[in-house]
Amino acid sequence: MTHPKVRRSRLWLLLAVLVVALAAIAAGCGGDDSAEPAPAEPAPAEPAPAEPAPAEPAPAEPAPAEPAPAEPAPAEPAPAEPAPAESGAASGEPIKLAILSDCEGAFAAFYEWDIGGAQAAFAKYAGGVPKGENPSDGMDGIVLGGRPVEIVGYGCSNDTADKAIEEMRRLVEQLGAQIVIGPLSGDEGIAVANYAKEHPEIVVLNGTSGAQDTTLKVRAPNFFRFNSDGAQWSAGIGDYAYNVLGWRTAAVVGDDYSFPYTTNAGFIAEFCAAGGQISARVWPPLGETDYSSWVSQIPDDVDGVYVGVGGSGTVPFFEAYASLKGDPDPAKITGNLFISDPTFLGAYGKNLIGSVSSGPTAGDANTPEAIEYNKTIDETYPSIAGSGPSVFTYNYYNAAWALTVAMESIGGDVGEGNANLLTALSETVVPGAYGEIKLDENRQAITDNYVVQIVEDSTGDGVPDVKTVRRIPAVDQSFGGTFTPDTPAPDRDNPTCEPRDLPWIGNAEEVDYSSGATDTAATESTG
Amino acid sequence: MRLRLTPSRIAVGVVLLVAVILCAIGPYIFSDFFVRSILTKTMWLGIAASSLIFLAGFAGMVSLGQAAIYSIAGFVMGNLVAADGGVDTALSPWVGVILGLLASTVIGLVFGAVAARSAGIYFLMITLAFSVLNFYFWGASTDLSGFGGINNIATPGLIGSAGRDPTRLFYVAFIVSILVYLFLRYLIRTPFGITLQGIRDEPTRMRALGYNVPLHRVLAFTIAAFIAGIAGILFIWQNANRIDPNSVNLSATIDVLVVAVVGGLFRVEGAWLGAFVYTVLETYSKNWDLINERFNTVIGAVFLVIVLLSPGGLLGIWDSVRGAARRLGRGAAPATEPGPAGGGGPGAT
Repeated sequence: MTHPKVRRSRLWLLLAVLVVALAAIAAGCGGDDSAEPAPAEPAPAEPAPAEPAPAEPAPAEPAPAEPAPAEPAPAEPAPAEPAPAESGAASGEPIKLAILSDCEGAFAAFYEWDIGGAQAAFAKYAGGVPKGENPSDGMDGIVLGGRPVEIVGYGCSNDTADKAIEEMRRLVEQLGAQIVIGPLSGDEGIAVANYAKEHPEIVVLNGTSGAQDTTLKVRAPNFFRFNSDGAQWSAGIGDYAYNVLGWRTAAVVGDDYSFPYTTNAGFIAEFCAAGGQISARVWPPLGETDYSSWVSQIPDDVDGVYVGVGGSGTVPFFEAYASLKGDPDPAKITGNLFISDPTFLGAYGKNLIGSVSSGPTAGDANTPEAIEYNKTIDETYPSIAGSGPSVFTYNYYNAAWALTVAMESIGGDVGEGNANLLTALSETVVPGAYGEIKLDENRQAITDNYVVQIVEDSTGDGVPDVKTVRRIPAVDQSFGGTFTPDTPAPDRDNPTCEPRDLPWIGNAEEVDYSSGATDTAATESTG
Repeated sequence: MRLRLTPSRIAVGVVLLVAVILCAIGPYIFSDFFVRSILTKTMWLGIAASSLIFLAGFAGMVSLGQAAIYSIAGFVMGNLVAADGGVDTALSPWVGVILGLLASTVIGLVFGAVAARSAGIYFLMITLAFSVLNFYFWGASTDLSGFGGINNIATPGLIGSAGRDPTRLFYVAFIVSILVYLFLRYLIRTPFGITLQGIRDEPTRMRALGYNVPLHRVLAFTIAAFIAGIAGILFIWQNANRIDPNSVNLSATIDVLVVAVVGGLFRVEGAWLGAFVYTVLETYSKNWDLINERFNTVIGAVFLVIVLLSPGGLLGIWDSVRGAARRLGRGAAPATEPGPAGGGGPGAT
């Protein structure tokens, strides 16, 4: 029998827990209440379209698509809330913006970099003032084309499409975001583009996700990608492997999902176009921690290995590689952008001095644009200083920059159903730090790509540097006609290995930034 | 056997009634977002958890395979109806629903026939292995699961486009939830259900009495698989008409367990309570700057607190409070009701 006193104290404990739980629920409901008007009623400002079919009636309000047609009491006399776009242009109604990234999963380490990239652009071009040391502390004072902007929330996904959708719903439907910058990773991008298609009232600027289908196949009219896709990020590397490193056969390894399929597809297409052969394609699952069994599937007799293992898997992959096949020979390893990313260089780069990879950034570029860009990042957010050349920071930065340029060009008047903003974004050209970015008809970036080499540290921070060796100008998503909406999406077996004509094979520009005056090496160090 | 109407039973009835009425008028008083992302998710997640509660609380089989089972219904349906990704077939969505449910039930029967012969920790491990195997199966069979998942899965006209109007999907999920609840409540009071509870408590004795213990356990697993299958179908419709292998990774498996434990492993209605609390916490805690990316820590803490203080889950707290109140009120008088006093033991229904 328990002593009565013990029982009583137990009772109080239970009551305390109950109170906390109820408080949590109440606070949650409160959050909903306050946010409710935003998503639920943006539309009824008008006599209201009779029923669904929201896109057609083209009434004067911007967002008839989703919440409104549901049915509830449309005759009501317009709640004095949202009516976001049209009248807002004149009255300076704030625009609600959200940034979607990953705070869990394989790419959680880049959460602050993503948000920081986007917000650094707002700080530089739109008057944004950071609220705190970390980017996710928030930002005030953003004005786009004369309209104030409120950042309503940060999406916290985990590299799965399901979570990205959940977070999009929270940001758009609960917090009322009209413009979203994100997401981060491949599968998320495809799902978010599909979501955008179903929600024509919002505008999405891709963060840094790089799956090909997102823009080549889904083609949502309100989804814009100002970064190149995974295949474009591989431009130049297959040519380099075949013609400079002299590989004739190669194995490719990559995480088993859409982004590595796409980067590896770029390598395969180019390497095979030049005349090479692919001996093996190995696909460990994303989030794997022990790569031994996968490394053992790489044949010993290949001339080289192309590594597309990213995020938290890159270092464990190379450790497994070293223990099974001996220390990696840099001349026999190339990889996608992950092996030249500052985080990886700090952790493992010393073992890969001399290896090449490719990507849309040139960490050592000493052009005025690159210097200014990196300075902006470092000064706005010292907590992520040095992350400028990372695609995570760079691509989110450009998305926010593009939005700023487009909003300026229309003076903040997004138009009916965002028509003005959509047109302006399609025509926006971003003078990016590492090359001009313009969009094709699928709202997908056409921009430069770089082949970079890992070199010894010259800045004294102990982290190997990156030296840019080649530039491939204006790479487009079709990859010289290799990929079309009708070709199979890159996957474990596609594209097949066959010789093709690629415009840039043998025509890449050799570049050498080390001869320039300014030392920008600090930009590659890790934060 | 007639139930006596005690004040506490009346209180529970009133609370349940209020919850049901609130849900029934939900689409008219809550935002679309709340209906779609909270209430509808609560319904399907609750159904999935109720299948686990039925197994764990009334048959003594703590299964980690329920998420795997619901994914089977989902993937089968996704492959049979028009969709982007998966096998290119376009049967009627209702045929997809029926065949999806059939597939999950049959696989439940077959797997149950193997797994149900083990018990306790071994049963837990074998169902965990099943979940992991299921995850890798779909991950590896990209012909069936699509590269980047199966997207834009066709829905029956009855559901319409839940992305635009969540009301109809919600009502479908709500009514199905009530039916599942009533069915389980009924089932655990039938001779079959009573036998299961006997097997849960004293398998050896039940065997000695002449009951076919493995058969009962296999049947229980099959019924639970059918119910989990229903959750899988609703999950797809609520999840923007898509599914991919990551939808049913280990974390989804654990979610179902967390929901069941938080709600209360010994009462069927705990499934929906747990699902509601879980969904609300998951959704709204991210709006608080302090928590945002630390949601898993929060739910982990809630889970720990509940396991430590009230093994019967949130509903167990109710039982504890009731028992304590009665003791305080009557001094040391013996309890007149067989209800569990400290932490909601089995048989609380």
